[in-house]
Amino acid sequence: MKKISDRFTWRTYVLFVAALIGTMLLCICVGSVSIPLGDTVTAMWNSLWGLEIPAGISKSIILNVRLPRVINVALVGAALSLCGAAMQGLLRNPLADDSTLGVSSGASLGAVIALAFGVTIPGTTYGGTMIMAMGFAFLSLIMILSLAYVLDRSLSTNSIILIGVIFSMFASSVINLIVTFAEEHIKSITFWTMGSLSGTNFGHSRILALALLLCGGVILRYSRELNAFAIGEDNARHIGVNVRRVKMIILITVSVLIGVCVSISGTISFVGLVMPHMARMITGPNHKRLLPASMFSGAIFLLLADLVARTLLRPIELSIGVVTSLVGAVAFITIFYRTRKAR
Amino acid sequence: MSRKLVSLFLALLMMFSMATVVAESSTITVTDMFGREVTIEGPVTRIIALEPSDCEMLCALGCEDALVGRGKYCDYPASVLELPAVQSGANTNLEEILALNPQVVVMSDMAHTTEQVELLEQNGIRVIGTDANSIEEVYANIRLLGMVMGKEAEAEALVARMQQTFADVAAMCEQTDKTIYFEVMPLEWGLWSAGTGTFMHELAEICGMKNAFADIEGWQQVSQEQVIERNPDYIVLVTGMGETAVDEVMGRAGWEGITAIQNGDVYNADSYAMTRPAPRLMEAVIDLYNFLYGIVEEEAPAA
Repeated sequence: MKKISDRFTWRTYVLFVAALIGTMLLCICVGSVSIPLGDTVTAMWNSLWGLEIPAGISKSIILNVRLPRVINVALVGAALSLCGAAMQGLLRNPLADDSTLGVSSGASLGAVIALAFGVTIPGTTYGGTMIMAMGFAFLSLIMILSLAYVLDRSLSTNSIILIGVIFSMFASSVINLIVTFAEEHIKSITFWTMGSLSGTNFGHSRILALALLLCGGVILRYSRELNAFAIGEDNARHIGVNVRRVKMIILITVSVLIGVCVSISGTISFVGLVMPHMARMITGPNHKRLLPASMFSGAIFLLLADLVARTLLRPIELSIGVVTSLVGAVAFITIFYRTRKAR
Repeated sequence: MSRKLVSLFLALLMMFSMATVVAESSTITVTDMFGREVTIEGPVTRIIALEPSDCEMLCALGCEDALVGRGKYCDYPASVLELPAVQSGANTNLEEILALNPQVVVMSDMAHTTEQVELLEQNGIRVIGTDANSIEEVYANIRLLGMVMGKEAEAEALVARMQQTFADVAAMCEQTDKTIYFEVMPLEWGLWSAGTGTFMHELAEICGMKNAFADIEGWQQVSQEQVIERNPDYIVLVTGMGETAVDEVMGRAGWEGITAIQNGDVYNADSYAMTRPAPRLMEAVIDLYNFLYGIVEEEAPAA
């Protein structure tokens, strides 16, 4: 009998990395403006080795607009999907995702406050929105955890979900209240909440990459504990997992990662919900394989969604959140239907 | 006794006939911009404008005294801010309007639903619907409000003044192939520009320029790549973002090669003047002309 490996073999990693790089290259080569493939390759190759880029090539579109956007989309997709997978495992709930904890609503609240009351950082036009979103993501995390501490010290799954839902509802009603009073800002608030990575640059990439490296690393290290949770909390306790401590650590890391993502890209729905399910269909429920697979598939999915958003109606651009929600909802129902039928 | 009765009768008869004469002479029948025929018992001395553009037009026609309320976004001229504000748009609140006891309410297409209009009409308030999406329709809008307020002559004068201003500016501009890119929503929230069917498009044409996004209709989100590729000669910001907006655009990565950025031809325009269907479009076109042709205030044509 062939032994199924517990982890990814190097072959699977090569396959995923190749698929991701392939998708990224496709997304750099195709865009709203048609640029000959040769030009794109020359621009990329020459800038990689520090060579002079021949005149007449739309260098700024490829290197300053598409490349950072593609990198950021991949990073956000990977982060959202990883967080979704971790939350689904931790809470043993297939409907959990990155927004379950309420941190993304908290981050949105921060951004909406910044937009409605004109919170700005001197010298920048839009820095205030990002900083406020990050700050509020952190504040919401503290609030959620202290609520959890007061209500249920054992941090039971149901309490976490309940607190997350209540906090999300609270944050959304405050957002609605602000919108009622600051209706003149309704336009910018709506567009911010629809999610967009169109204006992001390499500075954002650095922040995202750092967050994904740190938080993603922590989450991946807890694959074994997440596997234990999947069987049951008592089981995890029996095999020596410090349930509360692990839960706390995963909740905090997920929140930080989500806070960073939302502050840069706005809320992008469905990636964190659907992609872990897709990945699970390929890898099975073992988190040692599921978590990395979720990251790769999340990145690839969001890249393709962004490609559709950029090119479908050119020169018009769709909102990425619209594409992910549409595609995600259809995909989710299909998966649900198939698994039901198979049973 | 009988003589007294006869004289009373005669007096009453006279009063009645006079009343009918007065009533007839002040009944105004207009067709509003949605094709509804509206009959108003005039003269109109109590009116509410829900849209900022209608409010600006009424004030330009010298009817500010007749305004008894305004939609909450009506902010020009500044003196209207002292009037009681009512909710507008999707939140239009009938109680607030009824409390101000107007004869006429002016609403736009975005503001009213059929139910709201019916309820207002049932309460004896006449509703005038306005909907101007081009300069020609702004003229129609002004003439309509002129008829409602009994200011036909003023309305004609205002329309003539606007036509003259646009004609003057157009006469000073040569037709060029230079392009203007209008930005209505900044990059941070997804880039939005204005295509055909917008005042910005019309103003660009009056100034002898092309709209960089003439191939889209209305306001749309566009790709950043497209802006760079189209390489506009001028960038006009209609985002209403404040003083740092121009610096933010000038510093965008990848935009260095755009002609407008290289020449520093980025202008932060008055977003209300440029987007509202109101007489202030005259100021908008002069502002735009001054920016495009680099003319200092004194040399600029008077509005």
